[in-house]
Amino acid sequence: MKVLDHLEEWLISTLMGLATIIIFVAVIHRYLSGMPIPGVQDWLLTLNFSWAQEATIYLFVWMAKFGAAYGVRTGIHVGVDLFINRMKDKSRAKFVLFGLLAGALFTGTVAALGAHFVWANGAHYAFFHVLGIDTTGMTSGPTTPDLEWQTWIIYSAIPLGSSLMCFRFLQVAWHFRRTGDLPHHDHGHVEGIDEVTPHDVNPAKT
Amino acid sequence: MNGLIIFGLLILLMATGMPISIALGLTVLTFIFGFTSVPLQSVALKLFTGLESFEIMAIPFFILAGNFLTHGGVAKRMINFASSLVGHWYGGLGLAAVLACALFAALSGSSPACVVAIGSILMPAMVRAGFPPRFGAGVITTSGALGILIPPSIAMVMYSVSTNTSLGAMFIAGVIPGIALASMLGATTWYRARKNNYPRQPRASWGERWAAFRKSVWGLLLIVVVMGGIYSGLFTPTEAAAMAAVYAFFIAVFVYKDLTLRDVPRVLLQSANMSAMLLYIITNAILFSFVLTNEQIPQHLADWLVGMGLGWIGFLLVVNILLLLAGNVMEPSSIILIMAPILFPVAVKLGIDPVHFGILIIVNMEVGMCHPPVGLNLYVASGITKMGITELTVAVWPWLLTMLTFLVIVTYWPALSLWLPHLMLK
Repeated sequence: MKVLDHLEEWLISTLMGLATIIIFVAVIHRYLSGMPIPGVQDWLLTLNFSWAQEATIYLFVWMAKFGAAYGVRTGIHVGVDLFINRMKDKSRAKFVLFGLLAGALFTGTVAALGAHFVWANGAHYAFFHVLGIDTTGMTSGPTTPDLEWQTWIIYSAIPLGSSLMCFRFLQVAWHFRRTGDLPHHDHGHVEGIDEVTPHDVNPAKT
Repeated sequence: MNGLIIFGLLILLMATGMPISIALGLTVLTFIFGFTSVPLQSVALKLFTGLESFEIMAIPFFILAGNFLTHGGVAKRMINFASSLVGHWYGGLGLAAVLACALFAALSGSSPACVVAIGSILMPAMVRAGFPPRFGAGVITTSGALGILIPPSIAMVMYSVSTNTSLGAMFIAGVIPGIALASMLGATTWYRARKNNYPRQPRASWGERWAAFRKSVWGLLLIVVVMGGIYSGLFTPTEAAAMAAVYAFFIAVFVYKDLTLRDVPRVLLQSANMSAMLLYIITNAILFSFVLTNEQIPQHLADWLVGMGLGWIGFLLVVNILLLLAGNVMEPSSIILIMAPILFPVAVKLGIDPVHFGILIIVNMEVGMCHPPVGLNLYVASGITKMGITELTVAVWPWLLTMLTFLVIVTYWPALSLWLPHLMLK
């Protein structure tokens, strides 16, 4: 379980950093290759960064799907809790549990839909092809415009990410049922603030 | 009829407290399985391709840039610079809080983080200087919301993604209203401080001002990178956001040295967490608006409203009330993503400029962050000032009233938002 947690965190941080670097390098490359520096320019012109936008989009799609699963674990997905927070603890707990299970239901459905879609758009062919099973009558599925990667590989982020998210919802629901705790994200967290001594609202008159 | 089913379902699901993204998604699924003949395939395809737009990817980059600079050290530099400029006027530290919040929130992109960062440094200072705590709390809670109007702003990216409005135009359009609102909040602060004769700071010398400016300028240049890059055509908005993220990383680690290289993975993880949450809402909101468009609900709504003889004045009034009500229960990005696609076609039909309409929505969101029951700024401010929500509500009242006045001005004076983009983009 710990391994899965770390893998998830490592994956989304890396995707985030990688996308930033790719766009940064692509932009720098675009301007540098326009400059007449002997030797360097010719070398730069041989490099091709036209795939950078597409790659960034796919990196972020993967980041978004797995990050959303991580978000369930950190409690960052918020809803309208105005009404249920005014209820008694017991009825509130029922609604919280309902919300979490609804999350599991939705992500589970999406995972199933996504898996079906990916299977029909190339994964079926690819697996059978690798396994050496007869693939007559099957198509290899479309590829992306710039990178010319198989789209089913990119789109498998949706069944994989959604399944993980479904699992996280169930995990949080199970934890809530047992302990009554929910993960909570602090939106006002800022690093590097010295611990403030809470001042007195009614300061003593001097 | 279908519109009523969809919205009834959405409101019902949201009221149970489940995440908004899930409520949107389940509404779409239920509707598709139960009430219509939209082929499931086309919806599934939207699920895959909905996020495939380079414009949307500005959001993670801006969040990353903001997170590198959301640090107490940056907040201190902004405060020093602001108070060296305006500290010697009436309500000096209060004015400094307005200015520092405007600057810091523009960099960090998060209103609640701004309230915490500026508030936890300036609140104790103000109380020590002899300001009543309520005064400080009121200033900081409301000024913290300035950030979503001053570019770069995530809320503006959300609006331009969901309505296909030019993001560059939105950013430029935000500048003058942002300065205007900051000035109005400052004027309220000044007026109340003068009336009650609150303390002033000693006047800073030009040398001190220069020193404070030199320390804060590295952070402030981020705005120049983004705005200058987009305006001059050097970058697209998304590239500008990525450059801003790299710039912010460089400044935070090598110039300000607030962060070490070892902190970088943590900042990346936090940013990924926040961006993934927003992107997840966006994915499901795209599904939702796909179904709405498929059922032609925005068009019917537009025809109906126009048929009733509702002019743009009446429509904008309705929009303001609707958004203020929505601001009572939801946070800004969800409101924009759900409401903008529905209201936008009507606005266009009535001849309202998309950019003006966007600025109006953003100002609305600012107001929503500062009043109960769910104003996020109010909650974090309550945490750092140790005041109850009720007391804080009383404390923010003068500034909230100023914001509402400003909202009316923005609504009915389009030139305020449109003058600068028309000047610069023509």
